[in-house]
Amino acid sequence: MKRLDVIKVVARFVTGEDLLTTSIGGTWDDWWNYKPANNTFFMGILGSVVPTALGLALSLPHRRVIALETDGSALMNTGIMCTLGAQRPSNLTVVVLDNEIYENIGGPATLTAKNTDLAKMAEGAGCLNCKTLRNLNDFSAAFEQALTDDSMAYLVSKINPGGFQWELKDRKPTDGIEDKYNFLRYMEKLEGKVIHPGAIQN
Amino acid sequence: MTDQAIPEYARLFMQGLQEADVSLVAALPESLLKSIYRQCEHDEDIRYVLVSNEADLPGIIAGTYLAGKRGLMIMENSGIRQCCEAVGRFAFCHGMPLVMVMAYRGAFGERNWWGHNHSQIMGNLLETLRIPCKFVRRLDEIKPSIAKAFRHADASQWPVALVMTDECTEVPGYEKT
Repeated sequence: MKRLDVIKVVARFVTGEDLLTTSIGGTWDDWWNYKPANNTFFMGILGSVVPTALGLALSLPHRRVIALETDGSALMNTGIMCTLGAQRPSNLTVVVLDNEIYENIGGPATLTAKNTDLAKMAEGAGCLNCKTLRNLNDFSAAFEQALTDDSMAYLVSKINPGGFQWELKDRKPTDGIEDKYNFLRYMEKLEGKVIHPGAIQN
Repeated sequence: MTDQAIPEYARLFMQGLQEADVSLVAALPESLLKSIYRQCEHDEDIRYVLVSNEADLPGIIAGTYLAGKRGLMIMENSGIRQCCEAVGRFAFCHGMPLVMVMAYRGAFGERNWWGHNHSQIMGNLLETLRIPCKFVRRLDEIKPSIAKAFRHADASQWPVALVMTDECTEVPGYEKT
């Protein structure tokens, strides 16, 4: 599987009513070009993509929340699997794009290239519907089911190294502050409430 | 736990959470605030999220904030070391308001040798992270401090820390002797 093909599958099933968090790296530019709305918090923090999605999912049980995670980020903070396994939010789907390398820094192997199985770890931590998917059809079916059933899922998508190289004009141009406000203001419209009144705050 | 069995600091803290409309508390429990964790676990209005590593806490609280809800993280002051990277990135990359509550291990008179480094490092680390910090020492400070912490974090779009000590913790064993 190619990373961009997985992203296209995600884009086929999610809508502007859903919420996403993404990990730093090539996924940013892929998803920037396929996101249906400003419904994504683009994060510059390895290890916090799933915790942030968990906070969203627990706080807004009527929304579907998807964490677009990477193997490098997941490996940095495996303890969150235990919290996921305890909470089991039915509206949360974790998708780990696992290319088994740290691609952005030149391609040294991550530990999933050795003996680490993230899906088995998540299952052992108490997470539900933990699967490793090795082809696009299987991923597509698993992702669709994860979004339509009433249960959490932890899907590890084994992808090939080497992502699509976007032209500069198509790369995500925003920084972390703008990313937060894009998402926050979108959330205010979606949920019909003020989160940060900013300059009009008393 | 009956109302009478709840230490006053914990009762006031829970009232402060209710008045501040806090709906989620994420924590890695320790001994100095143990009655608060017990109360959160059984409070019907609060989603209590137990973690295994303080590094999980900032993300959970950030997600809660972005959802338009109020969340708060609790840990021992040693936890700021563990979650320093996540807090630093949320603050400096995203300007994310996070309300952190810490138990002040290593207070003057601390009997535990391993606890002294917690207080020795905490202050400088918070300063390096540019995180405003308020020591909450008296019972009458608890509720206003919680309210002000949320106001400060929301307005500044930056983390803030409340450090619970003196009257605002369980009575440590070394003070009973």
